[in-house]
Amino acid sequence: MSETTLDQTPQSDAREGVASSDRRKFLRKSVALAASGAAAAAAGNAYADDVKLDTVTEPLEINPTRNILGRGVVSVPYGMPSKFEKNVVRRNVSWLTADTVASISFTPWQDLNGIITPNGLHFERHHAGAVDVDPENHQLVIHGMVDKPMVFSMEDLKRMPSHTAIHFLECPANGAMEWRGVQMDSMQFTHGMMSCSEWTGVKITDLMEYVGVDPKSTWFYAEGADGSALQRSIPMEGAKDQFGEPLPADQCELYKDAMIAYAQNGEALRPENGYPIRFLLPGCEANMSIKWLRRIKFVDKPLVTYQETRHYIEPLPDGTIRQFSLVNETNSVINYPCPDYQMQGKGAYEIRGIAWSGRGKIAHVDVSVDGGKNWQEAELVQPVMSKCVTKFKLPFEWNGDEHLIMSRATDETGYVQPTLMQLRNVRGTNSIYHKNSIQAWKIEKTGEVKNVQIENF
Amino acid sequence: MSKLKTSKFGLGLAAGAMALGLSTAGIAGGHTDGFNGIGANITEKAVEPWDISVFYDGTNLPEGSGTVEAGQNPYDAKCAMCHGAFGEGAEGYPKMAADSMPAFIESLKQGLDGVGNRGVNNAWGHAPTLFDMIKRHMPFYAPGTMSVDESYAVTCYVLNLGGIVPMDFTCSDETLADVDMPARDYYVTDTRPDVANERCMSDCYDYEPKVVGAVVTGVSE
Repeated sequence: MSETTLDQTPQSDAREGVASSDRRKFLRKSVALAASGAAAAAAGNAYADDVKLDTVTEPLEINPTRNILGRGVVSVPYGMPSKFEKNVVRRNVSWLTADTVASISFTPWQDLNGIITPNGLHFERHHAGAVDVDPENHQLVIHGMVDKPMVFSMEDLKRMPSHTAIHFLECPANGAMEWRGVQMDSMQFTHGMMSCSEWTGVKITDLMEYVGVDPKSTWFYAEGADGSALQRSIPMEGAKDQFGEPLPADQCELYKDAMIAYAQNGEALRPENGYPIRFLLPGCEANMSIKWLRRIKFVDKPLVTYQETRHYIEPLPDGTIRQFSLVNETNSVINYPCPDYQMQGKGAYEIRGIAWSGRGKIAHVDVSVDGGKNWQEAELVQPVMSKCVTKFKLPFEWNGDEHLIMSRATDETGYVQPTLMQLRNVRGTNSIYHKNSIQAWKIEKTGEVKNVQIENF
Repeated sequence: MSKLKTSKFGLGLAAGAMALGLSTAGIAGGHTDGFNGIGANITEKAVEPWDISVFYDGTNLPEGSGTVEAGQNPYDAKCAMCHGAFGEGAEGYPKMAADSMPAFIESLKQGLDGVGNRGVNNAWGHAPTLFDMIKRHMPFYAPGTMSVDESYAVTCYVLNLGGIVPMDFTCSDETLADVDMPARDYYVTDTRPDVANERCMSDCYDYEPKVVGAVVTGVSE
């Protein structure tokens, strides 16, 4: 069993400053062991003509935990993961930003097996650091083009009719490090700027009815109480940009799913995710889901804030700069196998992955193991919900050959996740945000799994 | 709401009270019914300290002013350590003055790195929102601590570094909306989807895939 345990130690241990090359050699050695031993046993007998299963003849050792007393209840009043799971953590990329207070961390999807991101693993994106807001003193103001400008305490919000839904949040920079070329050999870093939670709060449309929003209001903006006082403009029906051009109709409906969220996976929001309240705009770039929310103002034009003119914009090769790219388009990735782990020997595997779309439900996910020449439809794991992570799975027999494995999601609007070449042909390589192209992993004969790009696909 | 006691005796009392005829009249119907009596009204005057957002067209700029000259000292003291004495930026921190608009657009067309080259003179549509950003979020280590006039002055200094306003310019609630920002007319609102893949299932292409591997095999390397 010890070989298997070592094999499951991700390469990312090296990232924590452990001497990396030694660690890697160690891993490779243990893979070689595993291929002939324990891992083959786990893989089953599907390749009976090619893979020999070991036979255990040594009498089993008594479990070391059998003859001792364990911990009492509430010895850990707020439960924590097993100490053997200590590698399952958020990570950041130190060279990506100059300072951790204006930076991002990544969710370790390579270690997750559901659609829900545990709260301590939700990715973080701060512009001036995470702050501790005292709910006793915190207030939410709703004003502007309304009949009744109002202010609410946190307890006020909890008295109101509640709304609960499971939605992903994704930074539009998810995958950004891969725009110009393949770079990060880790699924955590290629796709970890996305997390998915059950959110509970008050629907913005309910609050709008209560304060009496003027029908002439076409935009509102939300603002945080942190040092950046982050603010984003959100369009409603009839919204026009600063040039007087109308926004596409579907973008003007996005706000209808929005809520003022106070709970995340059943407990209070975490400080890193906006405690005590955040704006939540499902399907849209998560920068719009303002954390530590203090104010919403109904207006009749966009602010065109720093975030909307300088930061979350996409310079395109035709010399224009795309703005208000609100929706996160359909995306998917295989998280098992993935570069953070090695293959465990020939035989049976279940390819598993996650798919999500900012435009609604996932309709299909197809998987290719030959670089996109041929595809097979994967099974979608229930539940399949709108603007929510959907799991998919497909059986796979690994015979020790090289493979290029990839997933391709289609959402309920019929939009098919594009290839990297298709995206680059339209957007070039300078647009940073909203990279949702098909992700390829290469399974090497050695069992290593690599992040690759297929430049002509 | 009164708290139920958890002793048998207490629960018995509560159940008894219900049996004796507690009203069920309060069960609400429609949506906003559920809001009655919640929250407080607030005057726009009371919101003013928070109502700081400035629109692209200068709406809600606070009264005040600052010259390019007045911006030099606060910029050097509070900004230059990250953004550079000449607005050239520093490792990981954004430039204020970058490539001119024509050079920036040319670099995009050639697929060169236009992103690390964003500045106020090539990727910022409107001067009033530059003031908003500076007043709201700067200096980085003490956000929102500069006065209105100081923020106007630093805005003016940065605009001058970008070659957008002359040395003798005064930035104010009167002048900022009319400053001609080089990038203003280059913005286009999103109309994605901009690609149309097809759900091909077999024999999708017949050429050799050109596979490129990751250059970073672990983040510490």
